Amino acid sequence: MTSRGEALSRLAQAVVDGEPEEAEAIARQALEEGLDPLACINEGLTPGINRVGEMFSCGEYFLPDLILGGEAMKAALAILEPALVDSQGREVLGRVVLGTVKGDMHEIGKTLVGTMLTAHGFHVTDIGIDKSPADFVAAAKQANATIIGASALLTTTMPEQQRIIEALTEAGLRDQVKVMVGGAPITQSWAEKIGADGYAEDAISAVGLARRLVGLPA
Amino acid sequence: MPSIQPIQPIFGLEVLDSDQLAALRSATLHVLEHVGIQFPSQQALDVFAEHGAEVDMERQVVRLPPDLVTQAMSHAPRSYRLAGRVNETDLILDGTRSYFGTDGCGTETIDFETGQQRPSRKEDVAKMARVAEYLHSVAFYWPMVSARDCGRLAPLHELDASFNNTVKHVQTETVMGEQPAQYAVRMGEVIAGDSQRMRARPPFSVLICTIAPLGQDKEGIEAGMVYAQAGIPVGFMAMPTMGSTAPAAAGGALVVANAEVISALVLMQLVTPGAPVFHSILASVMDPRSANYVVSTPEKYLCNTAAVQIAHDWGVPTLAGAFGMDGPEPATWQLGRDSVYTALMVALAGADIVTGGGMLRASTLLVPEQLIFDDEIYHINRKLVEGIDTSPDGLALDVITAVGPRGHFLAQKHTRRHVRQFWIPELSHPRWTTEGEPAPDIRRRARAKLGRILAEHEPEPLEEAIQAELQAILDTAGRQLGM
Repeated sequence: MTSRGEALSRLAQAVVDGEPEEAEAIARQALEEGLDPLACINEGLTPGINRVGEMFSCGEYFLPDLILGGEAMKAALAILEPALVDSQGREVLGRVVLGTVKGDMHEIGKTLVGTMLTAHGFHVTDIGIDKSPADFVAAAKQANATIIGASALLTTTMPEQQRIIEALTEAGLRDQVKVMVGGAPITQSWAEKIGADGYAEDAISAVGLARRLVGLPA
Repeated sequence: MPSIQPIQPIFGLEVLDSDQLAALRSATLHVLEHVGIQFPSQQALDVFAEHGAEVDMERQVVRLPPDLVTQAMSHAPRSYRLAGRVNETDLILDGTRSYFGTDGCGTETIDFETGQQRPSRKEDVAKMARVAEYLHSVAFYWPMVSARDCGRLAPLHELDASFNNTVKHVQTETVMGEQPAQYAVRMGEVIAGDSQRMRARPPFSVLICTIAPLGQDKEGIEAGMVYAQAGIPVGFMAMPTMGSTAPAAAGGALVVANAEVISALVLMQLVTPGAPVFHSILASVMDPRSANYVVSTPEKYLCNTAAVQIAHDWGVPTLAGAFGMDGPEPATWQLGRDSVYTALMVALAGADIVTGGGMLRASTLLVPEQLIFDDEIYHINRKLVEGIDTSPDGLALDVITAVGPRGHFLAQKHTRRHVRQFWIPELSHPRWTTEGEPAPDIRRRARAKLGRILAEHEPEPLEEAIQAELQAILDTAGRQLGM
C-alpha cells in the first residue's frame, strides 16, 4: 500500500514524463486503494501538467513533451472522472467545441489545440474536420459550449470561419458562445475583421486565449 | 567544462582519383629534384648537404633526390595528438575526424564595446581565447590578432594570453626565428610540466608559411627546426596565388605548393626523424586586372579540398583553411557562401585540422561576432555529415505503423526522443528567452550571444606559479631580444 502523498506525486511525475500507460495504471491503483479521485486530479495531475508547461516555457521541453504530458493527463482523467461522485465534479474552466471548417481536411493543429486545452482544465468536444457552420452550432448547443474553436488552413476555407459566426448569430447563441479562430493563413486582423473573439498563433497561446475568453488571467 | 565536438563524416568527398594523385606526386618529386627550393638558412643548407641533397650554397637552393624525399617522409607520423591542458580537449589526428579552430593573425579589430575599428591588442587575444574556449566548434585556438601593444615581443605575448585564457590547444603562426622559438618551447614546457611531458602532450603547435614560388623563410625554417627537435608539432603552409606566385592552372599551383611544403617537412624529418609535422595548402587566384589576391573562388575551394588528399597521400595530417575570411562586414551573403563551400568540402575530404573562423578582409580584421556565425555553420555541417540512420530505430517502422494514414507523429515517444537530436540553428531560428523577443537583426543576435559568453564564461585559470613562470620567460625574452 503506497501512501497518499506518494501516489499523488507518482501521478504528477507520470504527466511530467509524458507516460500515458503509466499515468493510467497509477490512477487505477489509486482508486483501488481508495484515494479520492478529485484529490488525484487537483493534487496529482494538475501540478504535473503545470510543471510540463513551466518546462516548456523555459525551453527545456519541446512540443512532443507537451503533447505526451497532455496524453498522460487525459489517460488518467479517463479513469478518474467516472469515479467522481455527483456532488464533486472536476473544476472545468470552460466547454470548448473544436473543429476544422467545411472543405478543409487539416487535422493536426486543431487536435493539438484540443490536447492542450484538455490538459489545462477545459472540457473539449472535438467534432473533427470538414464541418459546416450548422455542425458547429449543433455541437455547441448539445455541449452547452462556452467557446467554439474553428480551424482553417487554406485561404479558400477561411471565409467559413465568418459563416460560423453568422450561423451562431442566427441561432441566437452569439452572446453565450465565444469564437476563437486559428490556422496558418489566419491573422489577428482577420479575426477582428470577421468579428471573432480571439486568435492564437499556436496551441500554447490558444490556452492563454481560451482562459482570457472565460474571464481568467492568461 | 569546455568541450570540443569534432566533425566525423560517414561519407566523403574525393576531388582527385588515384591516378591524379600519382601524377601530382611524380610532378612534385620532379620539381624537388630538378628545379629545387630556396632555403635561405645556412643551418638548413648544411643539414641537406649532410644528407646527400644537391646544394647550391651560393643560390641557397637545394635539389632533393626522390629517394631522399620518400625516405625522410616515411618517418613522419600519420597520427598523433595535439594536447589541451585537460585531456577532454585533446585533438587526436588519426584520419577519422576534423577539428576546427579560429583564424589569425589579424592586425585590426572592431572593438566589441565601441564598434570602432582599431589596432589589435593583447587583451583581444585573451578575450577571443575565452570565447574559443566556450564554443564547442572551436577545438584549437590560433591567437586571432596581433598583440600590437607588446612591440617585438608580440608573438610570445600572444601565446601567453592564449595559455592564460583557454585550456584548449594553441597553435601559433607568429613565433618565428630561432631565439623566439626557443622561448616559446620553454613556455610550452612550463605548461606541460617538463620537456618529456611536452613531447607526449604538446600544448601548442606551430604553422609556418613558405614563400611562393619555391622558397622558404629563414626565420620560419630556423624556428621550425627548433620546434621539431623539441617535439612541438610543426606544419608548413603554402599559399599559391594562381597566375602570380604559382601557375595559373590548379594542377601546377598544387605542384609548386606541394614542393614547398614537402621540402620543409623533409628538412624537419632530417633534423628529427619522426617529428610530428603537418601539411597545408591554401590556394587563391590573382585578380586578372589588379593582381590582387581573390580569396573566394571555385579554384580555391577545389584546391583546398585537393590539398587534403595530397597531404594524406604523403602520409601526414593536414591543416585546411575554411570559412569566409574575406568580405567587408560580417553576416553577409558573401561570407555565408564561402563558409559553406570551404568548411563543408574540407571536412568531407577528411581534413584533420581546419583554421579560419572569425575573420574578415582577407584574415586581417577581427570582428568578434563573426566567430558566432561561423560556429553555427560549423554545427550544421557537423550534423549533416553524420548521414542517415537506417537502423530499426532510424527507420521507425513501429512508429509509422502506430500512427498510420492521416495521423501525426507529435505524440510519439520516438518523436520526443529524436527531436532532442535535431540541431536547430540558434541565429537564424531564434527562440524567445526569458529576456523576451529575439532581435530582428541577425548581427545583433550574434552580438548578444557573444556578449553573454564574455560576461559569463570564465576560463580555468593557470596556477599562479605557472603564470609567474610564463611572465619570467617573457621578461627574459624582452631583455635578450632587445625589448
